[in-house]
Amino acid sequence: MTAEQEITHYAVSVVGKDRPGIVAAITEGLFRLGGNIADSSCTMLAGEFAMILIVSLKKASGERGLLEELTPVCDRIGMSLGVRTLSGDEIIRQEPDGEICMISVYGADQPGIVYRVTRELATRSINITDLNTKLIGSEAEPVYVLMLEVALPEGETAEGVEAMLAALKAELKVEIGVRIITPVVF
Amino acid sequence: MPIQPILRYPHPVLKKLCNRVDQIDTLIHTLVADLVDTMVAGPGSVGVAAPQIGVTLRVCVVDVSKNRFGKEHNHGLLLMVNPEIIARSGSATMREGCMSIPDYTGDVERSTEITLRFTEPDGAERQIETRGFEAVAIQHEMDHLDGVLFLDRVVSIKTGLFRRKNY
Repeated sequence: MTAEQEITHYAVSVVGKDRPGIVAAITEGLFRLGGNIADSSCTMLAGEFAMILIVSLKKASGERGLLEELTPVCDRIGMSLGVRTLSGDEIIRQEPDGEICMISVYGADQPGIVYRVTRELATRSINITDLNTKLIGSEAEPVYVLMLEVALPEGETAEGVEAMLAALKAELKVEIGVRIITPVVF
Repeated sequence: MPIQPILRYPHPVLKKLCNRVDQIDTLIHTLVADLVDTMVAGPGSVGVAAPQIGVTLRVCVVDVSKNRFGKEHNHGLLLMVNPEIIARSGSATMREGCMSIPDYTGDVERSTEITLRFTEPDGAERQIETRGFEAVAIQHEMDHLDGVLFLDRVVSIKTGLFRRKNY
């Protein structure tokens, strides 16, 4: 295989004010380049639309090709663009060994909820695989909701995580629940 | 005072374990009437539990008969005092919302078939078997009696970004 035919992966991020047609505009550009969208997550946050895509592409097109194709598109629709070339060992699919857990945290809004919870997880090498937060409730009583999907290291249990977060739960006066959601494979 | 305001989280009553009803008296009759009036007044509401209107007693009402998911299989208006699930089977995930937590929805796993025992406001003991959407609605309302909100049961992170659709 020559270098020209080699497949390289890129992390592409696109963020900007939401409107219809963003995904179509970006993916049209990728289609033109002959790129494949391997993994992606796109969502609306407040009024912003955020796309993160792992794109595979023949090396010949390269990062410069991606930028040349997508920059004018993003300029036209008012989005910011980021492109990063991934090294080979970054794209190996990593399947977590341990249990998958859902952690829900909710309560009166206050500074530091995300930081305090994720710091506890980090010290126990608990890897966050997905996370979302939302501010709900009323102006007088804002409520913060934090949902985390985490992969537990070997030997760690949901009860262990719950116990580890108990002190924080009492201090922040928030609800914290931990449950196993590891899919059953038949 | 028939229609009562629905309490919203973080109202502390919503996280309380509710007490069993020892004796069905006029207070309970009034409570049941208020729950029904409040449910009927809520757009698309299929159930209300006593703590949602500030009463920490094990009483809830459910009626899924007018809902598109519940039309086919239902027991009409259920007035439940001290409800207990005595058997359950199956499991399915459904996206739920709650009048006490507006603007948020999440996927919750519930039993698909349940056998339920409860006392009716006239004092009669009743046992029913139900399934599908009615079973989900009953489990959601009964969770309120234990201070459990659907947020405590969410199994998927793909939570609703948009305003929940009424059941």
